Amino acid sequence: MKSARLFPNEFKILFIILFLLLLIGFLGQYSAFDGQWRGQLERHIIRMIVGVIVMFGICAIDFKFWNNFAYAFYMFVFASLVIVDLLGIVKLGAQRWMDLYFFTFQPSELMKLTLILALARYYSMLSSTEALEFKFHVFPIFLMMLPTILILRQPDLGTAGLLIGVGASMIFLSGFPLKIFITFVISCITLCPFGWFFLHDYQKNRILTFFNPDRDPLGIGYHILQSKIAIGSGHIWGRGFLQGTQSKLNFLPEKNTDFIFTTIAEEFGFAGTLLVILLFLAICYFFFWVASESRAKFAKLMCYGLGVLMFLHVFVNIAMVTGLLPIVGIPLPFLSYGGSSMITFMISCSLVVSTLRQSKH
Amino acid sequence: MFDSYTFKDDIKFRAKIIFGAVLLLSIALVVNLYWLQISNAEKYALLSDKNRIRLIPIMPKRGHIITSDGKIIAGNICRYKLTMEQCSEKAFQENLSFLGQYVELDEEDGVRIYDSRKKKFPFIVIKDGLSWEEYSKLSMILFKLNNISIENAYIRDYTMPFEFSHVVGHTSRSKNSLQIPTGKTGIEAVLNNSLIGEIGNIQTEINSIGKKIRIIDSQEPTDGKDVVITIDSELQKYVYDLLSQEKAGSCVVLDISNGEVLSMVSIPAFDPNIISNKLTQSQWRSITNDPLFPLMNRAVSCSYPPGSIFKIITAFAALSEKIVSPKDKVFCGGGVKLKDHVFHCWNRQGHGSVNLCDALRLSCDCYFFEIAKKLGIDTIVKYAQKFGFGTATGIELPNENSGLLPTKKWKFLRYGTSWKPYETMIAGIGQGAVLATLMQSAVMFGKLYAGNYDFSPTLIKDGKKNKLQNPINQEYLEIIKNALHQVCVSGTAAGSCRTDYGISGKTGSSQVRKIKTNEAGTNQKLVQWKLRDHAVFVGCAPYKNPRYVVAVLIEHGGGGASVAAPIARKIFDRLMKK
Repeated sequence: MKSARLFPNEFKILFIILFLLLLIGFLGQYSAFDGQWRGQLERHIIRMIVGVIVMFGICAIDFKFWNNFAYAFYMFVFASLVIVDLLGIVKLGAQRWMDLYFFTFQPSELMKLTLILALARYYSMLSSTEALEFKFHVFPIFLMMLPTILILRQPDLGTAGLLIGVGASMIFLSGFPLKIFITFVISCITLCPFGWFFLHDYQKNRILTFFNPDRDPLGIGYHILQSKIAIGSGHIWGRGFLQGTQSKLNFLPEKNTDFIFTTIAEEFGFAGTLLVILLFLAICYFFFWVASESRAKFAKLMCYGLGVLMFLHVFVNIAMVTGLLPIVGIPLPFLSYGGSSMITFMISCSLVVSTLRQSKH
Repeated sequence: MFDSYTFKDDIKFRAKIIFGAVLLLSIALVVNLYWLQISNAEKYALLSDKNRIRLIPIMPKRGHIITSDGKIIAGNICRYKLTMEQCSEKAFQENLSFLGQYVELDEEDGVRIYDSRKKKFPFIVIKDGLSWEEYSKLSMILFKLNNISIENAYIRDYTMPFEFSHVVGHTSRSKNSLQIPTGKTGIEAVLNNSLIGEIGNIQTEINSIGKKIRIIDSQEPTDGKDVVITIDSELQKYVYDLLSQEKAGSCVVLDISNGEVLSMVSIPAFDPNIISNKLTQSQWRSITNDPLFPLMNRAVSCSYPPGSIFKIITAFAALSEKIVSPKDKVFCGGGVKLKDHVFHCWNRQGHGSVNLCDALRLSCDCYFFEIAKKLGIDTIVKYAQKFGFGTATGIELPNENSGLLPTKKWKFLRYGTSWKPYETMIAGIGQGAVLATLMQSAVMFGKLYAGNYDFSPTLIKDGKKNKLQNPINQEYLEIIKNALHQVCVSGTAAGSCRTDYGISGKTGSSQVRKIKTNEAGTNQKLVQWKLRDHAVFVGCAPYKNPRYVVAVLIEHGGGGASVAAPIARKIFDRLMKK
């Protein structure tokens, strides 16, 4: 057996996919900034480069390190969530950012990763006979719900939903009793309407508008409608690079961040959107493949969790810009403008790569 | 070992479920994208274009209306229009409050401004028709403002508003957002399509707040075509000044050689400048509530009993049907008895024995009662139709009245009763149910003196020409013409129409009510205005080579000879001087 290389062969595949996505993201950003070389575009490039460097750097760390410090990370990020809750700055109407003087950061982004690590850590210690009993699942549910409640208070419905989605799928994977799981899911769905009373007005509006975009065509429904117009007018091959009128003439809201997919869809058409979805699916498949190959329970669960996290981001983002889900502010990994999400997904790639290296050992 | 084995199995199974869910959701995304980008691509492409493309109309200049002597009576004058390009909300509000200090903006302006702002028109019209003071103040400070400009806009201008109000008509702004002047009456309405021209446009691309980004395409407007009308502006003014001394009435002057209308005046007139540009509610109400209906063109849209003018038709019919010869005489004793009722001649003393010429000259009613009885209503109507009564003359004006020729059938359908013999007698002198417009009476004279049944009037220069010839029997014509000349030499109109060049004509006084037996022949000046007869005179001059027809009708003027004929005489004098 050869000694494990820092970057195994399969990593090349991931790197190529990643490179393609970053390229598409760069083109989308360049177009969304009106095809002009701006400071913000340079920042996006710097973020991509820093992200790749971080990814390479973290790859070198043995995954046992993550195993050992999983709870510590969890505690640290949870503490920063509490701090944000107490004195975080208000940006775009929600308290999500922590001002670290040199850059603002969203602890809720990191929470997604640390929750996955903490859950993987917990279940790696659990024997499969124990996993069949409900009482051993109470602690992980706690691990999942505590940050979720804090994030809901920010308020950030999208991220909270993602945490539950990722957490629940990991708990499910780890052998949560099926009967209880199914009853729980069904009762959640039936209790959903009661959650209505806990929502903020703007959230209620978004949901109402989601079900009926014509309710307020110049208000909230405007975003969904304009986004659908942009995507639809792309046709098969798109309007061409830098030719998207909806994004150029500012009919699109948030065209650099949450709606970057719309910009790409308008200019590259169905072909472009299909390529983006296939690339993301390939990444998810890669994550799942690494997870299934891995022998260590911690690494296995972590990779599944990361795969689900990646997919949920892609799904929720595309579904909301195409009008399938209400607009909840979930960015598209690697493509949207913004540092927190870029770093988070670069880190998750490197976690998977280090797992891969470990399992080749 | 066993432990981890079962765990592996279980997690494999559960991972498959999760991966299956991932695939299912991905397929949902792709199907939805297919639905948006392939199935509905055209719909969304259209919506996308609708978002970004605005058409800015460029108004053509409306065609001029020019008189035969070259005077522009309906033209365009330039007014300044204050416009603002779409800009950010802050700049919009600042501009608006700043401009508010310099121009007066009323509620209507406010509604329009916010409406075009909401609809994202690339340009918002702040104010149309700046006053000179506002214009000079604004042009001094224009450089300080962004997105504001002053543009030229044209509004309709009528240089002889009252003289030509019924011929030219008026315009009003179209109801759609273009606000283009559209003809509503007169020549403006009839020739609207050629006067209006074609609207040009600039296709501009705008961004989400409506700001202009670039021009995609543009199409120049085509200005409207000018129209030359047959009316002479000086004659029109002369006729208008003459008539405006009366309360209500109308006048038509025709050129026999080609059917051109040289003058057409209806009193009272209105000012189309007011109606066409920024008409207020109260102004409109005062015009429409006027009991004299100034908007109505009395020469073509209003029909009256033609009165004695109609006797020409009865006479011509009698000659043609060989019921009388010119020498045959009828005794007029001041009335004709039918059953128990006596139908009086206007002259209660009677005219004694009269032949056809005398009867026309003196406008003897009894003579025509007698021959009408012999002709029968249907024969009279047949000849009246030949001379253009009962159908519109086809003049280029809207709302022409076609008058009325009663027949036995018409009466039965209308009233369900049979035709009475006395009605034929009354119709024979142009009273009763017979109705005609002044234009029809004038055209009847035109047909007589042109010797052509197909003579027809026109208002448009080089429009239709009277090419058709349908000659009238010369023998009978000469008899009638001679009699009509005698009217102005020694007959009813001799007092005002005896001239060197020779006028031929016929007076008429059409009754507006039934005359009681004891009232016939009373002095019309003593009768209340509304109950007085309409005074009519239709004449032709000169006697040799007849050239002009003048028809004058003064509503409730009294006698045709005393009121209408003197006016016609003045018009003839002026026509002959030229």
